[in-house]
Amino acid sequence: MTERKRIDIVEGKAGHPALCVLPEIEKEDELFEIIWTLREDGKLTIDQIIQSCSLPECENILQDLSKKGWINIKGQAVELLPKGEKRARELVRRHRLSLRMFYDLFALDGAEAEACKFEHILSPEVTDSVCTLLGHPPNSPDGKPIPRGECCSMFKQEMKPLVGPLADIMPGDQAKIVFITPGSHSRLDRLSAMGVVPGSVVKLHQKKPSYVIQLGETMIAVDKDITKEIFVKKV
Amino acid sequence: MHDHGSNDGERYRDSNLHKVLLIGNPNVGKSALFGLLTGRYVTVSNYPGTTVEVTYGNAVLNRTRTLVIDTPGVNSLVPMSEDEKVTRDILLTDRAGVVVQVADTKNLRRGLTITLQLAEMEVPFILDLNMDDEAKSRGILIDQEKLSQLLGIEVVKTVAIRRSGIDKLLKGIQHPRPSSITVRYDDAIEGGIRDITALLPEANISRRALALMILAGDESLKGWLHANLQDHVIEDIEKIRQDVQSRFNNSLGYLINQRRLKKADEVLSQVLSLHEAGKGSAIAFHLGKWSMHPVYGLPILLAVLYLVYQFVGVLGAGDAVGFLEETVFGEYLNPWAAKIVHFIVPVPFLQELLIGDYGIITMALTYAIAIVLPIVGFFFIAFGILEDSGYLPRLAVMVNRIFKIMGLNGKAVLPMVLGLGCDTMATLTTRILETKKERILVTLLLALGVPCSAQLGVILGMVAGLSGLATTIWIGSIVLVMLLVGYLAAKIVPGEPSDFVLELPPIRVPQLMNILVKTAARVQWYLKEAVPLFILGTFILFVGHKVGALEYIQKLTDPLVVGVLGLPSKAAEAFVIGFLRRDYGAAGLFMLAKNGLLDPIQIVVSLVVITLFVPCIANFFMMVKERGLKTALTMVAFIFPFAFAVGGVLNWILRTLNVTL
Repeated sequence: MTERKRIDIVEGKAGHPALCVLPEIEKEDELFEIIWTLREDGKLTIDQIIQSCSLPECENILQDLSKKGWINIKGQAVELLPKGEKRARELVRRHRLSLRMFYDLFALDGAEAEACKFEHILSPEVTDSVCTLLGHPPNSPDGKPIPRGECCSMFKQEMKPLVGPLADIMPGDQAKIVFITPGSHSRLDRLSAMGVVPGSVVKLHQKKPSYVIQLGETMIAVDKDITKEIFVKKV
Repeated sequence: MHDHGSNDGERYRDSNLHKVLLIGNPNVGKSALFGLLTGRYVTVSNYPGTTVEVTYGNAVLNRTRTLVIDTPGVNSLVPMSEDEKVTRDILLTDRAGVVVQVADTKNLRRGLTITLQLAEMEVPFILDLNMDDEAKSRGILIDQEKLSQLLGIEVVKTVAIRRSGIDKLLKGIQHPRPSSITVRYDDAIEGGIRDITALLPEANISRRALALMILAGDESLKGWLHANLQDHVIEDIEKIRQDVQSRFNNSLGYLINQRRLKKADEVLSQVLSLHEAGKGSAIAFHLGKWSMHPVYGLPILLAVLYLVYQFVGVLGAGDAVGFLEETVFGEYLNPWAAKIVHFIVPVPFLQELLIGDYGIITMALTYAIAIVLPIVGFFFIAFGILEDSGYLPRLAVMVNRIFKIMGLNGKAVLPMVLGLGCDTMATLTTRILETKKERILVTLLLALGVPCSAQLGVILGMVAGLSGLATTIWIGSIVLVMLLVGYLAAKIVPGEPSDFVLELPPIRVPQLMNILVKTAARVQWYLKEAVPLFILGTFILFVGHKVGALEYIQKLTDPLVVGVLGLPSKAAEAFVIGFLRRDYGAAGLFMLAKNGLLDPIQIVVSLVVITLFVPCIANFFMMVKERGLKTALTMVAFIFPFAFAVGGVLNWILRTLNVTL
């Protein structure tokens, strides 16, 4: 991962559509993504790439990539060479998994901008963890397929994610709270005052007519919406 | 439902009496302990939020005259609702005495988060592990000495409702100490604490604790800050807070709570040992589970309603009223009174005032004692059993979705059901609701459609003689109107609905003594509050009758009462006295029905009108106190014509469809 160490992480608050300030390596990444996406749509030509690309030095980078043996250019036709194919595949996988994560877990607007930062800093191990955490999702939120990783085939039989919303476990199950993604600060304050914090073990008693959970000897009735924001790992 | 004597506060606040302040999580037995220490009764029930006001009581503890103070339960000393604010404020503004933190032994983890906050405040206190019996039966054992060592304060064990451990508690009160335990927060938060403490004035609690409250974003502290600091200092403090907050994604309040819980867990791991649980709680546990089961929950609810109806409507309103009214008053008291009055008071005018058609004895006392009292008494018993069993919060689980239609959540069922006891006290209990919007909505619905025990009892008595269809129409109309008004009001009243987060207490076998004491206290309260108003109402009717105003009012209201509602002219009397108390109005209708002056449709229509009728005077004053004069007047101005309109529509529908009841 020597290449990635050079990357400066762009500062920006969650939800804030910070611009992707692109160092050289990330500019290349952007082109790989464009190539992958255009190929999915069956519109992979040099002209299309240049049209979709926001960078002024687009053509130069393409030539550069070709020289380094990532891609092969023949007139209008572009082809990913094996190592380019691998890099593009991993990039797109990271990008779409990041999108999925921001969209599903944190319900953030402007997830595209966040994901575009995130995809560059995920290591392969973390990518697989995110994939597992999200339950090996097949599609990104916009419906595009997420390239499968090793973790996906390994867990084919066991598709259950390790961590999921409390709302999804079965009544009678016990689980440990891993993290909470609250809709509001006051909600989190209230829950934490009753002992609902990461690390606490909860038991789900019932889902209807209202959700009832138990922490230690405390029983609490809560809205379903709240249990969707509490992410747990079964114990 | 028992007057908590809220005005006592002013009187006691500055006195130099020795003080003991009871503080703790909701439903841990503070009020039970208070009753035990002072001998003064306050309502003790098995659900969180029974106490919403500070209660003061005198006691002689360890041969010293002591003022004991009971407070609403808190989950955090950064308040989330009005009742929690009351407790925090008393720590903040009252001159310190001895604080006794009452904790539920089996729920010590949550108790310890309060302990840690008291430690931060540097107030001298002791920790009382209450409900030790329940913890034991669940196999939870706490090493009291080790805990005392870790916290650096006295720790005692009690079972307040059995009076056990009280002598040790009294001994402990003599040696309160600030706790030596400390919590260290994240560096950025510690930095914020340092910066803020430098700007704070001297207070009853430590500056560090105040700084933590401020960092946690305590809105309710603003008033105190403005009273004690200059505006620019407050701005500086807010800047520090925002600066610290900007370094975290999660709210500071949450981070602080999380750190405290972690510390609590550290302590707990050293003092808690688990053993095999006893069997006793298993039945109660399953009962509790079934009572909120999506399938079994409903039959259980219906069974509960049926039993209450049998007990209050049939036994109370039927047999007990029959006995008291016809036998005791009809055959003995009233004839005797008539003889005695004739003998002692020779003036015909005064005779009529006492024993005439609108006589204080023959009407006011007969209504109050013979009709309403037995019904209310039976209702209070049934209600007390329900309260102490822990069923009511489970009802909230059942109806949460229905309440969402009205912009509320299941938690609002608590004040609403309490309203069936007394709307006045229920209006006070709206403090347990988190948002202003919810408090306004519930206050309106209470004033509009929740009949109090006295009224409900009288109504049940009238309904008992009718068909099931008539009862259904009455209940259906009220429920429909409440849903509709709630739905529309939720659209009009600004604000957001809050989350449904409600703690469910364990199902417990009600203690006979507590039920009896509670019922006695409530009956006493009823007699004190209602009887004078009954007498006043009767007097107004008497004067009205004498000067002919009553006939005039009847003539004036005939188009409405007779024309629109289709009721006999005399029903106007019931509505006139209904202004004083709705149950008194209902009692008037009860007599009309009993004397065969109302047909079934008229009974149903009049019941709907009197149920929706304006709140009684006491409730109106409570509405003014809690919601402000303008809001209270607006509500009454809406309710009064609205009640008649609904009655008129119902009458028209029933007559047009030619329904036979």
